[in-house]
This record gives sequence, C-alpha cells and structure tokens, in this order.
Amino acid sequence: MKNDSLSKPTVSFGVALAVGSVANALLVIAKEKSPAVQSLMKRMTGHHWVTHVAVIVAIYVISRFLFTPAISTSRLIKTIIASVLVSGLAIVGFYLLAD
Amino acid sequence: MEEKIMNEIILMAHVLFGVACIVATVWVFVDTLNAREANQPRIRWVSRAAAIFMWSSFLIGGYWYVVCYPADKAIILKGPWPFAHNYFMETKEHLVIMLLLLATYLPVAAANNLAANQEARRLVLWVSGLIPLLGLMIEGHGAIIAMGVKVALLARQI
Repeated sequence: MKNDSLSKPTVSFGVALAVGSVANALLVIAKEKSPAVQSLMKRMTGHHWVTHVAVIVAIYVISRFLFTPAISTSRLIKTIIASVLVSGLAIVGFYLLAD
Repeated sequence: MEEKIMNEIILMAHVLFGVACIVATVWVFVDTLNAREANQPRIRWVSRAAAIFMWSSFLIGGYWYVVCYPADKAIILKGPWPFAHNYFMETKEHLVIMLLLLATYLPVAAANNLAANQEARRLVLWVSGLIPLLGLMIEGHGAIIAMGVKVALLARQI
C-alpha cells in the first residue's frame, strides 16, 4: 500500500538537524569574532570545541521536542539541504576570507 | 615511545571508523534505490551502523584533537604549511559536527516504510548522499593536516 507521509520523529529530527547546522555556523562565527565568547566556552569544559559540540548536540536534542511542523517532505528535504549547504559554506567562507 | 604508538592507533581508529561510516552510507544509498520489503531491515541495520561508526570516529577523533593534537598544531604552525591548521583543521573540526548530525538522522529517516513511501525514500537518498560528500571532503582535510605535520618535520631536517 502506498503511503507518502513521514513519521513525526522524522520531521522533528529533520528540522532539528537544520536548526543544529545553522546554530553550528553561527556559533563558529560568534566564538571566532568574540574573544569573550571563546574564553567563556573554554572555561565551561576546559576546551572551546568540547563546549561547542555539547551546545550543538543540546540544541539538536531540544529542537527535536520543540519543532514538529506540518511541512511536506519536499520542503523538509529542501530545508535540510539548504541548512547544510549554507552552514557549510559559511564555515568554509569564514575561515577562508574573514578569519 | 609507547605513548606515540598509542596516539597513532587512536588516529588510525578515527580514520577507520570515518571510512566505515562513508562505506555504510553508500550502501544505504544504493540499497534505498532498490528499496523493497525484503531489503528494508538491512537498510535500517546499515543506517544504524553508519551512525555508530560516525559517533565512534567522532569521539575517538575528539579525544585525539583535545589531548594529542596541540603538539602537532605547534609543529604545523612553525612549518611551511600553517594553513594546514589555520584553514583545514579549523574548518574540519566544525564541519564534522554537521556530519555527526546527518549520520545521527539517517537511522531516523530510514525507520520509515521505504518500500511503500516514495517521499521517505527521497529523504533517505538525500541524507545518505550528503554524508559521503561531506565525509570525503573531511577525509581530504585530514590528509592535508597530516601532510602539514610531515612537511614541517621535513623542513626542520633541511
């Protein structure tokens, strides 16, 4: 039998993936541009990268419970691809040009 | 000496699990192109394996990055390829977080009925297509970082 709807966890984790990707790029820029943010992140766990990972994983898990929008699969796929591409290019571009 | 060998084993395990994640994800992609009732359990198991491989690579690599890498970083920055750290490592350590999120999502997407649901199949194909692309890019970054250490040590000898 044909069934084209996705399960709720698929949608909510998909949106959380997009939110986590964008948050990852924004946190990179924030910590590299602000020594205060970098220093705070270093103080929290002893290493800024460990704090970075913990924050993004926490955002991913929390977003999964916050967002379960009624969006089509096409829109979900576009959201995931756009967030991964834009965040990836933002990170690559930042270290290539701005840092 | 023993510590150095241990560092190398940790680094090789990190790469090995990363490659295993890429291979498993390509498997999921190909199997999903031909998704039927019969191969659905296999797609789900391999997508779980891909996520486990990715988390293993990430945790081992993360330990190596925090504990062992500062010595290599100092060598790279004094050598002729400082960009191996300034650009490639800085980019790699942050792109890999997106790869981790994608690999974690793969088994969730693969839990849908792929044999009957064409839209779920499209989603799994996109996610399992993005992971090897990003993974290979990150493997390449790792190779350049290793070369950065090598050329710095060679430059010291000349």
